[in-house]
Amino acid sequence: MNASKQEQRTYLGIPVPRPKVAFFELSSCEGCQLQIVNNEATLLDFLSLVDVRAFREAMTEKFSDYQIAFIEGSVTRADEIERLRKVREQAAVIVAFGSCACFGGVNQLKNRFSDPAWVKQEVYRGHPVETADTARPIEDFVKVDLKIFGCPVKKEEVEKIVTSLVLGKTVVHPKYPVCLECKANNNLCLFDLGEPCLGPITRGGCNAWCPNNRFGCWGCRGPAVDANVAQLQKIMRQHGFSEETILDRLECFGGFAEQAKELRSKIGGKG
Amino acid sequence: MNHRLAFHDVAPHGHRYARASDLGSFEFTYKAEITSIYRLTDAENLYRIRIVNNEDRRHFSFRPGQFVMLELPGVGEAPFSISSSPSNREDIELCIRTVGNLTGVLGHAVRGTRVGIRGPFGTSFPMERMHGGNILLIAGGLGLAPLRAPIAHVQEHRSMFDHVDIIYGSKELSKLLFTFQYEMWKKDDIGLHIVLEKGDPAWSGPVGMITKVLEEIIGFRDVSFIRQTHAIVCGPPVMFKFVCAMLSERGIPMHKMFVSLERRMHCGMGKCCRCNVGSTYTCLKGPVFDYWSVMNLKEAI
Amino acid sequence: MLFRVAEASQLKALFELLAQTNTMLGPVKVADDLGGNPVYSFEEVAEFSRLSLDYTTTRLSAKRFFLPFREDLAVFALQGKDWSKQMDYHMDRPAVLFGLHACDINALNRLDKVLMGSDHPVPYYAAKRKNIFIIGTGCTPRPSCFCRSMGTNTVTHGFDLFVTDIGGGRLFFEIFSSEAYHVIRDLATGEPTPEDHNAYMRVETERNRKITTTVDTTDLTKILDMEFQSPVWKTWGDKCLGCGSCASACPTCYCYGVEETVDPGLREAKKTRTLYSCNIVDFAEVAGGHNFRPERGTRLKYRYYHKHRGFVEAYEESLCVGCGRCGDICLAGITVPEVIASVRGGDPT
Ligand SMILES: Cc1cc2nc3c(=O)[nH]c(=O)nc-3n(C[C@H](O)[C@H](O)[C@H](O)COP(=O)(O)OP(=O)(O)OC[C@H]3O[C@@H](n4cnc5c(N)ncnc54)[C@H](O)[C@@H]3O)c2cc1C
Ligand code: SF4
Ligand code: SF4
Ligand code: SF4
Ligand code: SF4
Ligand code: SF4
Ligand code: FES
Repeated sequence: MNASKQEQRTYLGIPVPRPKVAFFELSSCEGCQLQIVNNEATLLDFLSLVDVRAFREAMTEKFSDYQIAFIEGSVTRADEIERLRKVREQAAVIVAFGSCACFGGVNQLKNRFSDPAWVKQEVYRGHPVETADTARPIEDFVKVDLKIFGCPVKKEEVEKIVTSLVLGKTVVHPKYPVCLECKANNNLCLFDLGEPCLGPITRGGCNAWCPNNRFGCWGCRGPAVDANVAQLQKIMRQHGFSEETILDRLECFGGFAEQAKELRSKIGGKG
Repeated sequence: MNHRLAFHDVAPHGHRYARASDLGSFEFTYKAEITSIYRLTDAENLYRIRIVNNEDRRHFSFRPGQFVMLELPGVGEAPFSISSSPSNREDIELCIRTVGNLTGVLGHAVRGTRVGIRGPFGTSFPMERMHGGNILLIAGGLGLAPLRAPIAHVQEHRSMFDHVDIIYGSKELSKLLFTFQYEMWKKDDIGLHIVLEKGDPAWSGPVGMITKVLEEIIGFRDVSFIRQTHAIVCGPPVMFKFVCAMLSERGIPMHKMFVSLERRMHCGMGKCCRCNVGSTYTCLKGPVFDYWSVMNLKEAI
Repeated sequence: MLFRVAEASQLKALFELLAQTNTMLGPVKVADDLGGNPVYSFEEVAEFSRLSLDYTTTRLSAKRFFLPFREDLAVFALQGKDWSKQMDYHMDRPAVLFGLHACDINALNRLDKVLMGSDHPVPYYAAKRKNIFIIGTGCTPRPSCFCRSMGTNTVTHGFDLFVTDIGGGRLFFEIFSSEAYHVIRDLATGEPTPEDHNAYMRVETERNRKITTTVDTTDLTKILDMEFQSPVWKTWGDKCLGCGSCASACPTCYCYGVEETVDPGLREAKKTRTLYSCNIVDFAEVAGGHNFRPERGTRLKYRYYHKHRGFVEAYEESLCVGCGRCGDICLAGITVPEVIASVRGGDPT
């Protein structure tokens, strides 16, 4: 998979480096990494942009001379913290890859149980488990240089970001919320159909993936810049959604952890 | 029975254009080549750019204070003031600070890279109106870049002006722009007053606020001098706000002071609305405004 | 303008005359909302029966046929240090927009002013505007319409043909373009009688009577200037989600951003224009992070400045045709009549 040495590429005469990259996973479903290999049409182009040194989904050989590390998954165990620190020492750039790495993702749902011992008993039936009590974004342990949002990440977006990286362009995430792309797709608003949706406060860029399929947004890409979360909560209440429904949405991926925590303490959540 | 409607080809001649009212003018790009890149400071480069096609090059002319949209295909497009003499019809110079996407990639560009140029756009400093009087050319930081075109005009028409002073404030010694030109300006009897915000062992000139130096230059002038004076002020908003307030107090009428505003721009042609101040298009009614107009713009400062 | 009358059945004949060789677009019922009200949208239609010509309004305007949300302005083929730029206006055959209301035609006329009538006209828009044949139809006012206040409840140009149902199974045709005249010639029509004129006026009076929401635009440009510091902007700003849905739905909002991209094979670059909204956080943000309008309230205020002040200054009319879509679509319930009334310091009248 590591293509043989080729001559220096250029873009409009400007030299283009071919960085060495590695993919790692912590506690995750590996769905984000799969997104990359899934895209056969552009996989070769992708591999000509970067030199992949480690990638569990597609290669057995591994090298540790990478410059960019894509890390998928959240931190749930002590040994993962150790691995993360090692990667940080080697990598010039650490990319939090997917919502688990960025916010904790679906894994962080367990953070809401205030009595983890009870959870372990109930869920694992007393089997010895080596998971810590929380699922944390990797940012809590090492410096993160770049985030790629989404559960899973969108392959087109990953390709665009990687192309930008090698060309020296700045990587800019959409600051606008999902609604903008939802309207662009001429979708019916889910609120009109009686469904809750976090589109107005969630960072766009997914091309309104869920609303396109008539599912309300669950906020997997985290908050849009300047998101008016309080107002959306008010609107959801006006539409008759219960506090639990609102809370379920807000805490699903961890991007709105702060607001979810506040709401939970207000309504005296379970656990 | 059926009725096939006629198809109207709106721009049958494609993207050539002669007038701004032509549909072809919208995405019309001059192809240009970066012929030299001169490193001015750690953060700023001076790019010399030459329109490739001979006829296009003859077609292109601009007035001091106008800007172009510079495009690096696939990377981006952004507005930059032309920082060279309007009478140079061979090439233009742009002084560009590395701050983001396009400017970042331009920082790695090489000689021979081809870029796109649209424009020139916007209003200009009315140099002819200033003939016969004194000029204060006041710049803060990167503001010296747009001033280079009016300075060139002054140099080329030196006898048309009486007293000419450049007052240039910079953060620190290593950030001074166009140091290679200072002697030439002085030779053309232009007073050059540089002030640094931060002192330096290698610097013997003044340190402090630009308004302090300005005070020294015009403080002793009489009413008739002030009456004959125009000012061009380029720099960050806080800077031109203080400077203009001070000049205004000294008696220079607001319509004789000119500033250049900076806003986000995505078209340069009054279409994208990103550059609006209040409801005024900076790209059409500006970037050069007299200070009276600026005071009357909602949201301007 | 030439006038003609015809039997109601001629509407279907008109559709069929055009549908065989042209793309047909028109209002279609796409769903029922929670309250059981029909939701309409402009879509491509093949059958006359699919059209809902008695529609109230569509959620989004017909703007997307003229100003697609996303459009490539140019494609660059890359060759070494050089490139070549190719443009396509994305319109290669005529289309018919069947059933546009007066407010929406007026909206296009306003877009024409800025996108076709000023320096550097936009060929991407012009190509579509000149190749979409517009058939207007009389509307069914709903409570959020305030077109009468904006002077947009009737339309005098900017369409090819306007059809009004004047009752008694009769249609009244206003023929604006010669192209429309040629189409009409193939239908069974007659000269209108004085009684038809009266019927037309009765229908219009009745329609106007149903437009009950009003906006006081007297001296609005000045009042907006005077109330620049008014606290109401912050109040509305606190409610606003900054989602841009108002601009997406609006038939006259046209502002945009441009982004350039390169394919991962570094073979081709694109310059893409995407419609934007001044309510979105980075509308006026510049390199280095400085934002000229960081608060939602100042952004919302700017929206009203552009629509009700700046555009009026430039073109003598407002960039709002009172269609009410922005208020209907806004989850926060922010409507033009209420905002303007609050700026004027009173209750909506
Ligand atoms: C009239 C005018 C004259 C200018 N002259 C100069 C000059 O002579 N030298 C110089 O170094 N800079 C100048 N600037 C600022 C320059 O345009 C920005 O630094 C540049 O847009 C940054 O682009 P970027 O892609 O590197 O930044 P990013 O932050 O990545 O910006 C992305 C895009 O946003 C827009 N944008 C961001 N910041 C600005 C801004 N400040 N002004 C306008 N658009 C912006 C552009 O479309 C840009 O491509 C001028 C700006 C204006 C309006
Ligand atoms: S469905 Fe969701 S994302 Fe789409 S417009 Fe409605 S709230 Fe916004
Ligand atoms: S709509 Fe929301 S949940 Fe769905 S992919 Fe987009 S951001 Fe994620
Ligand atoms: S006014 Fe309403 S629709 Fe417009 S941005 Fe604000 S919340 Fe969204
Ligand atoms: S601002 Fe609102 S009411 Fe006015 S034209 Fe736009 S959508 Fe219609
Ligand atoms: S009102 Fe705002 S969204 Fe609409 S065109 Fe003007 S700037 Fe754009
Ligand atoms: S830069 Fe687009 S309108 Fe001024």
